[in-house]
Amino acid sequence: MRVSVLWRVLARHRRVVILAVVLLAAFLLMTAQVRHDRAVVSFVRQAILFTASPFIKLTAVTVGSVSHVWQNYVDLRGLRQENLRLQRAAAIQQRRIDQLEEQVLETQRLQGLLAMREAWRAEFVAARVVGKDATNWFKTILIDRGSRAGMRRNLPVVAPDGLVGRIVDVTPSTAKVQLITDPVSAAGALMQRTRVTGIVTGNLGAGLRVRYLPLLADVVVGDEVVTSGMGGIFPKGIPVGRVTAVERASGALFQEAVLQPKVDLGRLEEVVVLMNSEQREGFETGSRQQQ
Amino acid sequence: MRVFILGLLACASAQAALLGSISVGDVRPDLFLLLVFFLSPRVSPEVATLQGFVIGLCQDALSGGPLGLRAFTYTLLSFVTAWLSHDLATEKPLAQLWLLLAGATGAGVLTFALLTFFVGLLPLLPALGVIAPEAVYTAVVGFLLLRLPQLRAALVRAI
Repeated sequence: MRVSVLWRVLARHRRVVILAVVLLAAFLLMTAQVRHDRAVVSFVRQAILFTASPFIKLTAVTVGSVSHVWQNYVDLRGLRQENLRLQRAAAIQQRRIDQLEEQVLETQRLQGLLAMREAWRAEFVAARVVGKDATNWFKTILIDRGSRAGMRRNLPVVAPDGLVGRIVDVTPSTAKVQLITDPVSAAGALMQRTRVTGIVTGNLGAGLRVRYLPLLADVVVGDEVVTSGMGGIFPKGIPVGRVTAVERASGALFQEAVLQPKVDLGRLEEVVVLMNSEQREGFETGSRQQQ
Repeated sequence: MRVFILGLLACASAQAALLGSISVGDVRPDLFLLLVFFLSPRVSPEVATLQGFVIGLCQDALSGGPLGLRAFTYTLLSFVTAWLSHDLATEKPLAQLWLLLAGATGAGVLTFALLTFFVGLLPLLPALGVIAPEAVYTAVVGFLLLRLPQLRAALVRAI
């Protein structure tokens, strides 16, 4: 009797019940993540990424091709008949020049990666950036290497100029990289000149901050910041950024420094994933050699 | 159902692969939110609730945020949009723009509140610097999409 009454009440308020259940599910998912209960969360995330990543890759390739075709169409449209052949020849030459320029730029980038490999004496896997974070709240990128290429969570990701971030999710063919500018990103930091340590964190929409610097520590604008190697994820000595401002709030226990990241994270095309974390001691020497 | 799945895949692909090229000063429109706004008025609040949850979950999986954050926000927005769709239906352009802006701002504020509750790291001012531009850009893109038939007709007449 009671069950049927309850059932009738639930049926009458079905709309609200469904809303409450779904909201509760979302709330529990977030709670599970905050409590580091990652099994379910990781499964759901990877399942969705696994489903969506082929479409994302396909879209990236299609958009590239379509924009190329469209560009050619726009370039050629409206030309007079007598100039057509010359225009075509010029377009072909221009395309060759563009391709050569692109190859020069790519070669420069790859030379940078090779120089980094020589300097840091580390094993790495190069990857292309195929997608960027869908929201304005978080800073992540999608790269075209996944578990099939040996990617796994927490591997550090760098560019020739310095630190990019770490891998947070992996599918067989892609991996998601949390950038150092992400508001929930954190890494051990070391002021290269004075050897003072702190924690470099993302700063919602405004670069990086080094927190927990002792109040009396000597930190000035222009100081270079590298990774400290503490925390077990990022090797020691990877360039992170340059100090652009130092903030000492009255009554605060620590001072903070605002950083300009070494890497232009908005224009990343290729990155490098560092595979062998056991060679970490070589990094600082390497980064100093580069300077 | 087919429209929902196709819309979801299109949004996932476009948001991750395309939006870099139309972002203005690192601000991107939230296409998933627009999908919520466009789909919810066409279904019952119960279905809209589930649709909002799935759309939000996809957004969460593709972004760096905690899983469930957007799922919560979009579930609520989807329900409210479906529930109030008869009262809010309008053909007036300015009203449409305001409604989109209000919805996008609401989504931003709710996201901020949830993030503050779970992560507790976001200062208000920088957060407003994310919420407001994203809401405006999303509302403008949504408005243009809503007005696409009229814009096309005007263009054809002009030609």
